[in-house]
Amino acid sequence: MAATYRTHMSIIGDILATTRDEAPDESGANVTYLIRKANVSYGRLSKILEMLVQQGLIEQTTSERACKYRISERGREFLQAYRGFREFAESFGLRI
Amino acid sequence: MEFALETALNLLGFVVGLVLGIFAYIGFKNTGSPTLFRLNIAFFSISIGFGVVGFGYLVESFVLNYVKIDVWIQTLGLGIQTVGYFFIAFSHGIKSFFPKSRYFKSITMPLFIIPGNSIEHIIRSISFILLVYGTIETVMSYMENRKTSTIFVATGLGLLALGEFLGWYSAVFPKSVLYFISISTKIAGLGALFIPISQAPLRGVRFGSNV
Repeated sequence: MAATYRTHMSIIGDILATTRDEAPDESGANVTYLIRKANVSYGRLSKILEMLVQQGLIEQTTSERACKYRISERGREFLQAYRGFREFAESFGLRI
Repeated sequence: MEFALETALNLLGFVVGLVLGIFAYIGFKNTGSPTLFRLNIAFFSISIGFGVVGFGYLVESFVLNYVKIDVWIQTLGLGIQTVGYFFIAFSHGIKSFFPKSRYFKSITMPLFIIPGNSIEHIIRSISFILLVYGTIETVMSYMENRKTSTIFVATGLGLLALGEFLGWYSAVFPKSVLYFISISTKIAGLGALFIPISQAPLRGVRFGSNV
């Protein structure tokens, strides 16, 4: 089966979905967990996380051991809207 | 009666295209997706194209009191719609639009041989080819993803193509009902394109900056 190319937007969608649906505990998911679940490199993930925190789509919580990330209310709304637009584009056989 | 129906259908096309364009624009504004940008241009062009014909007819008959409507309004509107169809086709990648094989060229080139005495016919022919291409690509996508909304889009593009073909063919029978069937078919096509939007959850779409 051919590998599917993921756009920048779909990677963001995967990260947000991971922080919403698959976070191991209420404080959120750490970087290692996100790398594994969202299937993205550390360098790329760091830049995206920084941008998502700036946009207010995810919240960063710092504990003694590591930074953790969880989706914000705005992020949940964005993810819902993103999925709507993705469905719209996929209806045309396209990807956003 | 015919004039009123024609104008109403064109204005309906204007509204449907506008709603689709606005939805694609909101998506582009929030996600920065080039795909949604192209769809945004496509639907705004289609909307403006219908609007030019519909409002043009209204202005010429009720404001300027022309007895006979100028042909150039129809030609201009169709030209703008063709730009929209181009962007829908372009979204799929235009690379396979011009086959390299000499054999395929011999098959596709006759499609471009059209009555050369009318710009309107040329524009309709281009629209038809773009829409057929878009329909085929969308059907291919349906084969992969099996999404119901994809088959509605393919049907919509197919109906738009059929509408363009009937509009072009109505030149052969200028006083027949073919032209109205053509516009009605195009509106039905736009309606089918509207279905994916009706299934999308629109709540929460109010972000202001690109991600």
